[in-house]
Amino acid sequence: MATLIERVPPMRWTAGLLRRLGLHGRGLVIAVPFLWLLVFFLVPFLVVGKISVSEALIARPPYAPLLEWDGWRLNIIVNIENFRYLWTDSLYINAYFFSIQVAFVSAVIALLIGYPMAYFIARSPEPRRTFLLMMVILPFWTSFLLRVYAWQGFLRSNGVINNTLISMGIIDTPIQMLQTNFAVYLGIVYTYLPFMILPLYANLVKLEESLLEASADLGGRPMATFFYVTLPLSLPGIIGGFMLVFIPAIGEFVIPELLGGPDTLMIGRVLWNEFFSNRDWPVASAVAIAMLVAVVVPIMILRSLQARLTEEK
Amino acid sequence: MIQNAHAASSRPWVAETEPPFLRIQKVTKKFGDFTAVDEVSLDIYRGELFCLLGGSGCGKSTLLRMLAGFEAPSEGRIEIDGQDMAGIPPYERPTNMMFQSYALFPHMTVERNIAYGLLREGVKRDEAMSRVADILKLVQMTQFARRKPHQLSGGQRQRVALARALVKRPKVLLLDEPLGALDKKLREETQFELLKIQETLGITFIVVTHDQEEAMTLSTRIGVMDEGQIVQVGEPAEIYEHPSSRFVADFVGSVNLFEGRISVDEKDRLEIDSAEMGGTIHVGHSTSCTLDQKVWYALRPEKVRLDREEPVGEANRARGMVEEVLYLGGQSIYKIKLDSGKSVKATKPNLLRHEDDAISWDEPAWISWGDTAGVVLTR
Repeated sequence: MATLIERVPPMRWTAGLLRRLGLHGRGLVIAVPFLWLLVFFLVPFLVVGKISVSEALIARPPYAPLLEWDGWRLNIIVNIENFRYLWTDSLYINAYFFSIQVAFVSAVIALLIGYPMAYFIARSPEPRRTFLLMMVILPFWTSFLLRVYAWQGFLRSNGVINNTLISMGIIDTPIQMLQTNFAVYLGIVYTYLPFMILPLYANLVKLEESLLEASADLGGRPMATFFYVTLPLSLPGIIGGFMLVFIPAIGEFVIPELLGGPDTLMIGRVLWNEFFSNRDWPVASAVAIAMLVAVVVPIMILRSLQARLTEEK
Repeated sequence: MIQNAHAASSRPWVAETEPPFLRIQKVTKKFGDFTAVDEVSLDIYRGELFCLLGGSGCGKSTLLRMLAGFEAPSEGRIEIDGQDMAGIPPYERPTNMMFQSYALFPHMTVERNIAYGLLREGVKRDEAMSRVADILKLVQMTQFARRKPHQLSGGQRQRVALARALVKRPKVLLLDEPLGALDKKLREETQFELLKIQETLGITFIVVTHDQEEAMTLSTRIGVMDEGQIVQVGEPAEIYEHPSSRFVADFVGSVNLFEGRISVDEKDRLEIDSAEMGGTIHVGHSTSCTLDQKVWYALRPEKVRLDREEPVGEANRARGMVEEVLYLGGQSIYKIKLDSGKSVKATKPNLLRHEDDAISWDEPAWISWGDTAGVVLTR
């Protein structure tokens, strides 16, 4: 490698420049994602943080500046009114709790469906395993938006499901499925199921067959083997899958917008309305910051739990 | 080789004083077209330490797994203590297994690993814990009760695995390469401990191993397996001194084989003409063979005498050149190339600390042996 870099002049010059900046080898490898996160996550986050503590104005941009130079001194104007406002209006609190509820319930349902699937795939013989894994990933090849739209076609009053049920004579009048919370749960579970299955699979495939045999040999019936051996050993996978579903589901906007009803008040939708309908950027930013805090705490708890479980093995 | 005390005291397989405890009758196991175990029949008695010995892929592990209930025989019948095992799942069998990889539950402490089997059986927690404490004392692991498997060394894990398999007092304990993962020194120590524990508890042990030395040291009897079949069953000394075939003679210990033809066949005496050895072999016993039949004479290296002077007599001797001398401390191995072109191994104990006049390499020497030193093999 080094010889290649030495031989090609542009590479040699770049390497020389980077070395003079104190970056080489491992430092460089870490620096790239670090810079990426700095530019595209931390800086925008600070911007949002700044907006969340400023005052709304009917102007362009629609918020007051944080720093003001009034001729002979610099004023820092911090307005925490937006955050206080979130507490006073029950809309936001309700939206938070409902978002967490939807995300939590969806993650639990995804776990209940995904666990047997992941287990089955992990225990399948090799060629079939690759095929089944492929089937799990296959939906990603179609746009997420298209797939959620497709659910509208299934769920609406004259959609596939209702039409089938009516033509079979099971029901007389169509069931209201679209624009209900049921449709939101369905959409979230459907969309995020692969994110549950993949980490579970990665965990379960490592589970040694001999441990299950040892349990059976020592008198553990299949159920006991599952609850005392398989389940505890797959806990890191469960937590991983749970986080991958729970976290994005909290802020989910598209699914409640397309499948949910007017009463499906999730925080992503509130945020959208605040930004684009209400044009109250400071409150919207405050909502975003508060959501981040609300999500970060459970993530940190789950992460540390997962780290402890993995370390124990 | 150490003889097991059991072999001398009680040998029900000789006199058939009691019915066999574990019966394997014409058991076959096929995986698709491949026959892993081929019509194996075997009787094992209560309190035995039986070794299934064979190379990798000989079917010994598959046979063990059928006893544990992890595999179902394609044909045949397995009986333990008079009870047919067909259709009985592993969790209802009176057997416990010690796995080659130990298969300790990584998320449980040593104590909970051992208690697992008792708790699944419905033993009360207090009683289970006192039994766990007893067995931990037996395997000398009491101070590690609260550790997790990853905090233990290989030898300690081996003890925990043994304790976990023993604590339920199974009728038959199955051990899959129990000492395979240990280094040589530890393995020797553990062999004796395993024997002691087996004698203390009186549980029937069935050990699968590829290590002939381990099989020799541990077992009351050995079943040598090859290509899915049991080729010979016998006590260690029987297997070593009276192998039934070239495969067994070669697999168990080291051996010199001389191909030849029977030239004299009398009631208690045979003569073999061996071009490979370059002379005549006198055998002081008879065996079921016919005149002019092709046979092999199996001679263990330690039964070969090595001299500078020409030995008396005209049979059981050959001249050659010492090619190599391997010094092993307690003994030396000599590799001699005979005038016939055949290479022969001979071992000599190093009785003196300094032997100035020892036979050395590139020296001509004579090998010779007695009438009863070797065995005539017909296959």
